[in-house]
Amino acid sequence: MTNELAALSNELAAVVEKAGHAVVAVHARPRFSSSGVLWRPGIVVTAEHTIRREEEITVTLPNGTNASATLAGSDPGTDLAILKFEGAPAASIQSTSEVTPGNLALTIGRSEDSGVNATMGIVSAVSGPWRTWRGGRLDRYLRLDLTLYPGSSGGLVVNAAGEALGIATSVLSRIAGLAIPATTIDRVVDEILSRGRVARGYLGVGLQPVELPDHHKGLIVLSLEPEGPAAKAGVLIGDILTSLGGTPVADTDDIQVVLESHGVGQSVPALVSRGGVAQTIAITIGERPRRD
Amino acid sequence: MRGFGEIAERLRRSTVQVFADQRRGGGSGVIWKPDGLIITNAHVARQRQLQVELWDGRRFEGRVLSQDPRRDLAMIRLAAPPSESDLPAATPGDSGALRPGELVIAVGSPLGFSGAVSTGVVHSLGALPGMGRQNWIRADVRLAPGNSGGPLADAQGRVIGINTAIVNGLGVAVPGDAVKAFLQKGARPSLGVTLQPVSYGLLILDLDPQGAAAAASLRAGDILIGSFDSLSDALDSGRDVIRLQFFRGDRTKVREAFVRLAAHAVAA
Repeated sequence: MTNELAALSNELAAVVEKAGHAVVAVHARPRFSSSGVLWRPGIVVTAEHTIRREEEITVTLPNGTNASATLAGSDPGTDLAILKFEGAPAASIQSTSEVTPGNLALTIGRSEDSGVNATMGIVSAVSGPWRTWRGGRLDRYLRLDLTLYPGSSGGLVVNAAGEALGIATSVLSRIAGLAIPATTIDRVVDEILSRGRVARGYLGVGLQPVELPDHHKGLIVLSLEPEGPAAKAGVLIGDILTSLGGTPVADTDDIQVVLESHGVGQSVPALVSRGGVAQTIAITIGERPRRD
Repeated sequence: MRGFGEIAERLRRSTVQVFADQRRGGGSGVIWKPDGLIITNAHVARQRQLQVELWDGRRFEGRVLSQDPRRDLAMIRLAAPPSESDLPAATPGDSGALRPGELVIAVGSPLGFSGAVSTGVVHSLGALPGMGRQNWIRADVRLAPGNSGGPLADAQGRVIGINTAIVNGLGVAVPGDAVKAFLQKGARPSLGVTLQPVSYGLLILDLDPQGAAAAASLRAGDILIGSFDSLSDALDSGRDVIRLQFFRGDRTKVREAFVRLAAHAVAA
C-alpha cells in the first residue's frame, strides 16, 4: 500500500541521508557528544555550550572515521564555536532564509555509535533580529517546536526540502530550541577566521534609563570603568547620555545596536547632559574584556 | 493526511494490553499471528500466566511460552483465542531497511490509557553504549512506561519494532528483525541474572533461582570480570558450557565458574 504518508516518510529519510553528509559528531565534553556541521571545507560549526575542553577535541566524520580538531574560536553570545581540522571532506550546505511558522523542520545530528540521527517538528516562531541573554545578536529569531536530545545541539536544522535553516541550540531560550540562522553563522565564522574572536564594542559604563524634565529619555551613568573608553573620553558619573553616534538612546539595547554598527577603535560622538547643559563628547569604542 | 487515521486504527486493533496481576497496570503487546500469538517485552511478561486485553475490551488468559531477557522479548499464547478472523494480527515490516527520518507510529497503553497513538521519526539505528552489540531503533516519539511491549510501525503501518524503553527521552525499540529471529530460533542463552556495570566488571544484583548462573553456584554480590560485550559474545558462542571468572568479596582472588547454558528453544 502506498500513500501520501509513505511518500512523505521516504522524502524525509532522503533529506536526512543527504544532509547527514555535512554533519559530524563532536567530542569535546564528558558523557554526551554533540553534533556539528561541515559549514565550509575544513570548518566545523557547533554549539559553543557543548565545548567543554579546548584540547583533545575530536570529530566523527560522516564516513565513520575520527579526526582531531582544533578550536579556532568561539562566540558564547551566539552559542557558536568554530573547529578546524585537516583533510575535511567537502560538503555543500544550501541554506535558505525563506521560512514561516508551521514549516516542517528536522534537526540532523550524529553520534559515534549509531551514525546520523534525526528529530522532527515544526518551526514555531520567526521574527527579526534578536539579542540573546548571552549578549550576542541573532539575525533572526527561529524558534523550533521539536525535541532536542542531549546530542542534538550543534546539529543542522533543515526544512522538508533539505535546505539549511541554521544550527540547533538548546541554551539560548529557556522555552524552546532555536536555530541559529545561517546568516549569523556566516558572519561569526568570517569574524573568527579573520580575527580569532568576535570582538564586541565596549564603553565601560553602567547605565540606567531615566526620564528628563523635557520628557525625553536618556541613560544616566551610574558607574564608570576606570581607564575604560568612556572614562578616558571624559564622561563623568551623573552624566545623562541622550544620543550615541547620532542615534537617540533610551535603553541599554539601543547602545548595543550602535556599538554593533561601529567597529572597535572607531570614534563615536556621545551627546550628554551634564548639570542640564548639553555637550558632545567623542568616545573611542573599546573591546569588551573577555571573561576566561 | 489521508491514510493516517486508517493506519493508526488498524494498528490499535492489533495492539493488546498485558496485565501481569490484577491490581497493577501492565504493558502492551502486539498480536503477531491470528492464532493467538502475542509478542511483548520480557519485562512486561514476568509471570507464566497473565491476562491479555484486546482493543475492544475482551480479556483472555495468556501463557508465556518463551522469554529472551537479553533481547527483552517474550511470546504469549492465548489459552482460548477467538476465531482467527476476530484476532487482527499486525503486519510485520522490514526493520533492516529503516532509515533515520522515516515517520513512525507507536501504539500502546501509556500510563493505562488504552490504544494511545504517538508519532515521530526514526532518530537513529545501531548499538546503545554499554548494551552489547545488538542493534536498537531509537525513535523521536513520546513514550511512557505502559508503551512497553507495544508496536512501533512505519508509515504504512507495518510493525518494525517493539517499544521497550525510554533513554534520555528517546523511545528505544527492539527491531522487528530481532522479533523474527526470536520466533524462529527461540530465546538466546542467558545467565538468569540482573547485572550492574561497576568499575572492574559486572555486579550480580539479583538472580533467577532456576537460572543457569544460580545452578553454577553464583550468588548475588559476585562480580563477573569482563564487559557486557564479552559476556554477550560468550553466551552467543554456541558452546553449551561457558567459563566465567569472578570475584567474591576478596578482589585479589579470581574465582572461576563453569555455567551450563540451557537449551531454551520453544516452538511458537
